[in-house]
Amino acid sequence: MNGRVRSAVCGALATLGAACAMLPLVDRTSWLLQAALLLTIQSAVGVVARRVPLAAPLTVALQAVTALLLLTVVFAHEQAVGGVLPGPDVFHAFDQLLRESLDDIGRYAIPAPATLALRLLLVGGVLLVGLVVDALAATYRSAAPAGLPLLALYSIGAGLAKGGSDWLWFLPAAAGYLLLLLAEGHERLSGWGRVFGGGQRPAEDGPAAIGAGRGPGPLRTGHRIGALVLGIAVVAPAVLPSIGGGLLQPRGRGDGPGGSGGTISAVNPLVSLQNSLNQPENREVLRYRVAPQGGQDLYLRIVSLDQFDGASWRASERRITNVPMPMLPAPTGLAPEVRADPVGMSVAAADGYAQNYLPMPYPAQSVGKLTGQWRYEPEGRTLVGDHGQTTRGLRYEVSVLRVQPTAAQLAAAPAPPEALLREYTKVPDNVPAVVARTAREVTAGAANAYDQAVRLQDFFAMNGGFRYDTEVRSGNGHDAIARFLEEKRGFCVHFSFSMAAMARTLGIPARVAVGFTPGSPQTDGSMSVGSKDAHAWPELYFEGAGWTRFEPTPSRGTQPGYTVAQAPTVPDPGAPVPAPSRRSVPSAAPSADPACPPEQRKLTGCSGAVSRASSAGTGGSTSPLTVAGFALAALAALALPLLPMLWRIRARARRLGGARSPGEPAARTLAAWRELTDSAWDYGIPPDDSRTPRMAADRIVATGRLQGPAAEAAGRVATAVERTLYAPHPRPAEGLAGDVELVRAGLHASAAPGARLRARLAPRSAARLVRAAGRRWSEACDALRSGRAGRAWRRAGAALRGIAAPRGTGRRG
Amino acid sequence: MTTYDERASLSDLTTTADRVRRSVESVIEGKPEVVRLSLTVLLAEGHLLIEDVPGVGKTMLAKALARSLDCSVRRIQFTPDLLPSDITGVSVYDQQRREFEFKPGAIFAQIVIGDEINRASPKTQSALLESMEERQVTVDGRTYELPGPFMVVATQNPVEMEGTYPLPEAQRDRFMARVSMGYPSPEAELRMLDAHAGFSPLDDLQPVAHAHEIVKLIDAVRTVHVADSVRRYAVDLVTATRHHPELRLGASPRATLHLVRAAKAAAALAGRDFALPDDVRSLAAAVLAHRLLPTAQAQLNRRTAEQIVLDILQRTPLPDPFGQQPPGARRL
Repeated sequence: MNGRVRSAVCGALATLGAACAMLPLVDRTSWLLQAALLLTIQSAVGVVARRVPLAAPLTVALQAVTALLLLTVVFAHEQAVGGVLPGPDVFHAFDQLLRESLDDIGRYAIPAPATLALRLLLVGGVLLVGLVVDALAATYRSAAPAGLPLLALYSIGAGLAKGGSDWLWFLPAAAGYLLLLLAEGHERLSGWGRVFGGGQRPAEDGPAAIGAGRGPGPLRTGHRIGALVLGIAVVAPAVLPSIGGGLLQPRGRGDGPGGSGGTISAVNPLVSLQNSLNQPENREVLRYRVAPQGGQDLYLRIVSLDQFDGASWRASERRITNVPMPMLPAPTGLAPEVRADPVGMSVAAADGYAQNYLPMPYPAQSVGKLTGQWRYEPEGRTLVGDHGQTTRGLRYEVSVLRVQPTAAQLAAAPAPPEALLREYTKVPDNVPAVVARTAREVTAGAANAYDQAVRLQDFFAMNGGFRYDTEVRSGNGHDAIARFLEEKRGFCVHFSFSMAAMARTLGIPARVAVGFTPGSPQTDGSMSVGSKDAHAWPELYFEGAGWTRFEPTPSRGTQPGYTVAQAPTVPDPGAPVPAPSRRSVPSAAPSADPACPPEQRKLTGCSGAVSRASSAGTGGSTSPLTVAGFALAALAALALPLLPMLWRIRARARRLGGARSPGEPAARTLAAWRELTDSAWDYGIPPDDSRTPRMAADRIVATGRLQGPAAEAAGRVATAVERTLYAPHPRPAEGLAGDVELVRAGLHASAAPGARLRARLAPRSAARLVRAAGRRWSEACDALRSGRAGRAWRRAGAALRGIAAPRGTGRRG
Repeated sequence: MTTYDERASLSDLTTTADRVRRSVESVIEGKPEVVRLSLTVLLAEGHLLIEDVPGVGKTMLAKALARSLDCSVRRIQFTPDLLPSDITGVSVYDQQRREFEFKPGAIFAQIVIGDEINRASPKTQSALLESMEERQVTVDGRTYELPGPFMVVATQNPVEMEGTYPLPEAQRDRFMARVSMGYPSPEAELRMLDAHAGFSPLDDLQPVAHAHEIVKLIDAVRTVHVADSVRRYAVDLVTATRHHPELRLGASPRATLHLVRAAKAAAALAGRDFALPDDVRSLAAAVLAHRLLPTAQAQLNRRTAEQIVLDILQRTPLPDPFGQQPPGARRL
């Protein structure tokens, strides 16, 4: 295989490796095989064209035409002339498919179904990147820049995958690029003759191997460096402390094409809700202040999920409009007799919080002082950022209605409108029967929809035996709810999804809201909402009261007064919130702390609450372990650049250390010589193995412009080394340490200020440290490879590969 | 093993050698390396081949060296009609005593100057082989020992010159070193004009060392220590000539022997009782180059044997100071 063919093959492999990062984006992997086949054909055309040889631009053009033909045959052969040649219809079809694919990207959460349009996008993208990589690496013989398109391909997958890309996908991408570089290096070297493959293995060492280099060959060293860098790249991020994405990261996307039209795409803001809850630290995302009569139980809603597909809740695709000014339309279904007090609040989002939905309580009446491009989705009454607008660092004011229906009002609610009822009670057929059955069992004997809803809430929150646990997997399957009902362990997503689903089976219009619990009160009267306050709750519709919040999740948030049977009247918003048997104080804690009663929590705060409150002001709470980790990392980062200097000082002390230096006179002399040559190296005179000690000393004297005593001292050390090495009975040389210091002083005196500083702070001879580490690593590898441990290691490696292969293909979602 | 007495003779050696060197240099202007090399060969019991174009002082060097030493000197002018018996000697029938009497040839001297050695036929040149290597002459079945010290200093013109025969490989191999005089620098040539204006400077030359002193010095050189690593280095260099792609014929084991002996002499001249890789390096071209036969391709590329030896010197690894440190020493 000649160099260009090798480059072409490696380029194709690298492209496919990078494309692996997109595997988690769709739910099937067959597109990659398709892409691999087409890419192979495209690369083969390139190989043939270069062999002809065609001019480089012609080669690229030929490959591009090939790619177009291939895509036509695979994706639009019906519109093609003769099933192969692309005509105007084919381009029209491609245009249509690409539009659809863009819609699909917006419509589906990851992993998306592999629709034809998405397949075209993926396969076409891989072919395009493959073409660029092939052109750079093989046609124009410049493999290094080919990393850019590969990086772009990898970044798409890594950026869109859930919770960032898995390290597993990083490996093929990076390995592919390294392979490409290796192929190019190999080709470049082979232009100079045979590529030296390194010394023979010890097992093959025989008389013939005398004189052969024992160290690792450049090729093997290259492989090792590549593997090492790859390993560090994978391991380093894992061990460094970091702040996870969670809801802090922007999720979802407003997709208004401009004007007042456009739709809001279906996104899944729950994607990382669990991640947020499981973050080791609670970082403040919002801080708001409510008018005194506003109370402290306003949930901040981001989006509502109104589409239930049997497995999960999603937001429907809705039309968005400009934000109606000055007031938003009146909320659906709110009757005048239901008490609804307007409450004003001012909200400040943290700089690190970039969400493209505007968090605000439901139902908002008006939004003021809002900057940026925001649009209004009327059905869910949410504000959506347009053109990448997020909440980062945003300050705004919201006027909301604090709707306080009474239990009686809800109990007497008339039937909801037909259209709304039809839309919000849709339950797919694939929902397990146990969901509806449990709903019926729990609400048996309930007089009305309100009663049913309260019983459902109590079933989950109190008497159903459910436990709050954020470690449970969210689960996407159709039986996720059934499993939750059986295992009775989960977090807000499970509780809200299940209650909303069960409410729908009972004919109560229901949807799921996603947002934040009210957060923790601060000493200055404001409320701080942290990432751990992320929450999901069901909203049920009652004619007259509109969409009404319920709280089925135990130990989270507050249950609304109208759902508490014992609460005969609505509490006065101005008065302190009573704390009867239920917790009515907003809590950010995932579980109740029995040692900290709600009263104390509200008035003085528990230790946890205090620490959270105090740290909120500084941007988030941090555990001592994290602080220690950061401190250690900072220390290591500081010490790392100083490492060469420290090593050098220690090495010099050891080599010239008089009584403490190596015992043998010969070893002392050689140590002094090593120190002398390393000192010269530090000042820019690298050691040269092709010179004898005498010649080396002459060179140091000449290059280092040494004169007088320093030059003589260098000569004395060289003579001592000669005597040590070649004289029959070497006499111990005295004063060598002093001679070496003289030479150092001479070198220092003749060096420029910059060179002096470098010799001191970043001595070049510290490269020995790296070489020694490489040598030891190589020796250890050889020992491992040749010994029994090596065989065991290889067996273990083979076994691991066997295990990893099926896991690798199954890692999605 | 170096004893006090031998060390003393080593210092004698430098003193005596210095005297000889100054004496020769009073005649040969501006060629200290050539003079030094001649002395080295003398002390290493070798023979010296001086090769250069006519008129640069080859014969002058040979004569100056011979006259500086108080020993028997014979000069042979090699001509095409010279016979082997002219060199080795001939048995003549003595009528009176009725027996054959051996008349020694020109080779029977301590310093033999072979002038323009390549003008004689190869047959005559070959007459030198035995005497140079074994320091003896065999005529009519009888072997005659040659006096010590024995050194052949031969001059030759480059083979491209008219009327020359190239020396056979075996003959060349017997010379320890080949040296080229080279043209003198303008200053040296100017000084030479002054010195040679009225009389020959050779006339004034007086012996500065006795033959027995030279023998003693040669014995002292034999005691110079050559470390294993230096010997291995010499062997590596010679071995490299046998595998070099530009060489048709590499150097013989005798060349290794000569190289090490010359290195010892050079070390002794420098006042050391041990040889260094530097000694081997400095002598490699002089000792090896004249024994090597470059390939036709190398000759076409105008590559000389000296250049190839320098190339080999560049490629052959030197003894690693830290790879041969004494047992028990730690790697630092």
